[in-house]
Amino acid sequence: MAEMVNLTIDGHEVSVPKGTTILEAAKTIGTEVPHYCYHPGMSSPAMCRLCLVDVEGAPKPMPGCVTTVMDGQVVHTQSEQALKNRRGVLEFYLVNHPLDCPICDMSGECNLQDYVHAEGREHGRGREPKRIFGRDDFGGDVLFYGDRCVMCTRCVRFMSEVEQDHRLTVVERGNRSVIDTFFEEGLDGTHWHGNIVDICPVGALVSKDFLHKARAWDLTHSSSICTSCSQGCNIDLHTRDNLVQRIKPRENLDVNAWWICDYGRHNYEWINRGGRLEAPLVRSDDGSRAMGWGDALRALLEKAEGAGAVKAVASPMSSNEDLGALQALVNALGGGEIVYRSSRAEDEVPLKGFPGLARRADLTPNATGAELVGASRVGGDDATGGLEGVASHDGIVIVLNDALADQDEGFGSTAALFVYMGTHDSAAARRADLVLPISTHAEGEGTFTNHERRVQRFSKALDAPGMARPAWLVLGALAAEKGSGSAPRSAAEAFGALGGAVPAFAGISWDDVGTRGALLNESVSVTGD
Amino acid sequence: MSDIPFKNPGWAGNTGEFDLTEEQVRGDDFVGARPAHGGHASGAGTMPYMLADKQPEAPLFEGEYRDRLDKILTRYPTKQAALLPALGLAQEIRGHVSPASMDEVADALELSSAYVRGVATFYTMYNKRPVGRHLIQVCTNISCNLAGADDVVDAFLKYTDTELGETSEDGNFTVIEAECLAACGFPTCVQINSRYFENVTPSEVPKICEHLKAEGE
Amino acid sequence: MAYPYVSDHEVRVLSKHFGDPTQRRVDTYVERGGYSALKKAFDMGPEKVIDEVKASGLRGRGGAGFPTGVKWSFMPKESGKPHYLLCNADESEPGTFKDRELIRWDPHQLIEGCLIGAYAIGAKHVYIYCRGEFFEANSILARAVEDAYEKGYIGKDIMGSGNDLDLTVHQGAGAYICGEETGLMNSLEGRRGQPRVKPPFPAAVGAFGMPSTINNVETLAAVPHIVANGGDWYRGFGTEKSPGTKLFCVSGHVNRPGNYELPLGFPLMTLIEEVCGGMRDGNALKAVIPGGSSVPIINAEEAGRCTLDYEGCVDVGTMLGCASVIVMDETADVVKQVRRMVDFYAHESCGQCTPCREGSAWTAQILKRIEDGRGTEEDLDTLMEMTEQMVGTTICVLSDSVAAPVQSSIEKFRDEYLALIRRGERVGAA
Repeated sequence: MAEMVNLTIDGHEVSVPKGTTILEAAKTIGTEVPHYCYHPGMSSPAMCRLCLVDVEGAPKPMPGCVTTVMDGQVVHTQSEQALKNRRGVLEFYLVNHPLDCPICDMSGECNLQDYVHAEGREHGRGREPKRIFGRDDFGGDVLFYGDRCVMCTRCVRFMSEVEQDHRLTVVERGNRSVIDTFFEEGLDGTHWHGNIVDICPVGALVSKDFLHKARAWDLTHSSSICTSCSQGCNIDLHTRDNLVQRIKPRENLDVNAWWICDYGRHNYEWINRGGRLEAPLVRSDDGSRAMGWGDALRALLEKAEGAGAVKAVASPMSSNEDLGALQALVNALGGGEIVYRSSRAEDEVPLKGFPGLARRADLTPNATGAELVGASRVGGDDATGGLEGVASHDGIVIVLNDALADQDEGFGSTAALFVYMGTHDSAAARRADLVLPISTHAEGEGTFTNHERRVQRFSKALDAPGMARPAWLVLGALAAEKGSGSAPRSAAEAFGALGGAVPAFAGISWDDVGTRGALLNESVSVTGD
Repeated sequence: MSDIPFKNPGWAGNTGEFDLTEEQVRGDDFVGARPAHGGHASGAGTMPYMLADKQPEAPLFEGEYRDRLDKILTRYPTKQAALLPALGLAQEIRGHVSPASMDEVADALELSSAYVRGVATFYTMYNKRPVGRHLIQVCTNISCNLAGADDVVDAFLKYTDTELGETSEDGNFTVIEAECLAACGFPTCVQINSRYFENVTPSEVPKICEHLKAEGE
Repeated sequence: MAYPYVSDHEVRVLSKHFGDPTQRRVDTYVERGGYSALKKAFDMGPEKVIDEVKASGLRGRGGAGFPTGVKWSFMPKESGKPHYLLCNADESEPGTFKDRELIRWDPHQLIEGCLIGAYAIGAKHVYIYCRGEFFEANSILARAVEDAYEKGYIGKDIMGSGNDLDLTVHQGAGAYICGEETGLMNSLEGRRGQPRVKPPFPAAVGAFGMPSTINNVETLAAVPHIVANGGDWYRGFGTEKSPGTKLFCVSGHVNRPGNYELPLGFPLMTLIEEVCGGMRDGNALKAVIPGGSSVPIINAEEAGRCTLDYEGCVDVGTMLGCASVIVMDETADVVKQVRRMVDFYAHESCGQCTPCREGSAWTAQILKRIEDGRGTEEDLDTLMEMTEQMVGTTICVLSDSVAAPVQSSIEKFRDEYLALIRRGERVGAA
């Protein structure tokens, strides 16, 4: 039990563990002391001087980010002296700042804008010509606008302390100082540099991918989980016009802290891909015919009668709810086997400064979920092959969320019933009896299980096109018709149903997962790799 | 001879302007230029010199200079601490600290090149570009300023026919302003490569420059 | 030959051998009693040495004036970590030139002081951080260190005492901010010479993360004399709160600028008129900066009341600092000199803290504009307010040093600023 310290901040009594800084202590009462250079994930140089607070009895203002609390301390963050200090420091920041908000990507989510608007001087007094640094391409995804830089050095410290590849440095000194790389070496070859754009408090470091793409205030933020590997980094999808415009990491100290790798950060285009399946299709030698869901599912169940055992292809890109509903349906149809393919990289890319975080070799978000519902991995590390048995099966073939890109048009041609469920059509689905449109993870709620068996929720960020529906809704309805429980009407219910069927999921509820995720019960053993 | 009554017996040597010869000032025991291998390890990190003869293509840490770097490394608990002396050595040999030199120093000390760049550009004495054979640094800070340092700068610029920071056409001289050189009692102080010239007045400037050209050193 | 500047008022303790090149030889130094204080210190033991220095009342001569014995006693007694003594020979304060002379003329005096200091604080290694520009002084010092090693005054089992001490001469590369104690430590470690936040203080976390003490050259040069003659002897000079002698570096418009070693508490006007031979060309005194460019400027009236000790200077609204007396007569252009000083600070600012990084350059720009005759009276208000925001808000006091000349000159020499602003007239010539 840590020793506690009692102090007063802005008239409020605060009790925090010994060793807490004033800035962190203020957070506990909802007071955000303005700051630039401080970041909980890195060292604190206390150099921006913006977080100076008034401590009674101290000879001069104290930097809140490094001053530890003491019993009986009386701290003022909003006193006249504190406000005067911040106004003064903010004036200094604006002496050379280009004030190019109209063309700056950061506008609308900029700490300089927000602080100056709240506490800065109304009119500037600077009459001198401003120093010019211009724009520099740092390589990778990063552009640097030197004139906007507030020299907080978060970017330098991130590369040196967290990624531990010291690529950025401060060059020169005094007001000639500027951030730069080692000449043309840039940031190429690093794997986490995108994070410096997140932590830059102003628009000095911007993403090339996002350059002039959308205004911050037009974006809707939806919490989600990255699907590029099994680490399961918590993210927010920023959307506008029903498209993902960019990904930003979301804080979760148990999984990814404040970070995300460059690969995951930029791997969102596939969510926006057009040419989606929009209606259930019945396919025959004469071609495809669209029909309503009710009719399509009834047709499916008719054909499934006595059609034989099931061989299903699932996907580790699908949610736990989808996979659980698939398993329920397979069982309801009399049993069968489920396989899945997944991409794997040769090795992991760890973030040295935060142990436990890496771009994993497993490049899918829910292989663990697939294993837990009893699916087995087949095929190569490039996610091809392994479907010979399914392709020539004569019973029921169900394909869920696998585009079958490597398969030929003869796939499933001998099946009694071939159901293809996907977001996009596939040449290999030519012989499917039914082609059903499903939504992506971004178009609904659900959960993934990451490499360490942590279940994490993602929320709806986009609207599904046309008549596309979540797979768990479709499969759950079918299973219910075959007598297996009731049809789930929400992802939460589907998750609950999963818990009923798979022992590993029995211990936690949808609410347990919450917004931070929850680890599955360790004592339940799981087959698979 | 200048009309300043008191001169600090400085190190400028016998330019004919000072009452003492260099030997008289230094005494018999003066060590002069540091041997390339650095001498005793305790002083091996000092006195990377600013030489008139520069070899921009010479290898950095080979032979005697490697010995010197090794001696320097024995004096500190970390390799990183040898960075300033190592950069100084690079400048002694090549005349300035170029990106290639920064890279080589970074390799030798197992530091990142970006880090070395950050440190090298922090300090004034590391020349980022090639300079003339004689780098003329005139103090114009307050004490020398009160004695007319600006006129001394102008005299040097006039003689060398350059702008501040520019190298003269014959490659001999680069003139820059310096901050306080800690010779305030003997204004105006001018540091030329490794030597201090004190009590310099504009009338002495041509003689000093002629002397430097003649020395060939 | 005689050293250029000698006055009967002087009490030459540290500067006794200035001008004598033979003093650099270790044999000569020993003949004259050198390294006997070191031997005595070994016999006394570290605690007694610290007590003696405390008793002497020696205060840091680098500008802060912190009692040296007290500083040494801050070192932890049982840390189990290596301790370091750092000697700050990075003399860069405009107007100061005493450390260079001390190193050039009497290097062994400094070496002995370093060794005694290291012994007292339990350090096994001393680093003398010398300014990069001091090629000559460093040559002499390095040679002296080498000789001392050879004769067994540094190294293993010094003079058979069983004590081991090492000394390294480390050269800087041209940065005033490396004279700040934590900036020096960063520079020594091979980093950018940027000051660190305190706490933690150097005695807890210093050079290489280990407990360290840093002292100025003049401070350490006084130590052998204090150990040899006793703290009470040292108190025989100077005043009660500012005991001892001080090397005063006088520059500017006096007839005999130079270093003069005088007891602390010496009246400023006596220094100017008698020791330095009076004002150049008989001109009237206009302004004095008694402690190097970082302290407020005082006018002639205040100079008349000023005694040169730590308290005396505070009484007239300035500080003793490193006792570098810059004298300006009626021909001096105050605005130009203040602008030049602020240019210096803007050039030397390390750039970490926003008020200093932006404020020093902005101040220099405004002053230049005023000097060029394009200033406004509003600018004076901006300067006063803006420099006030630079005081007490940064990691180190370089920022405060910008405020000192600007605020004191606007307060006391406002007419010179106004002459430029209203009529484009320069009051002074230089």
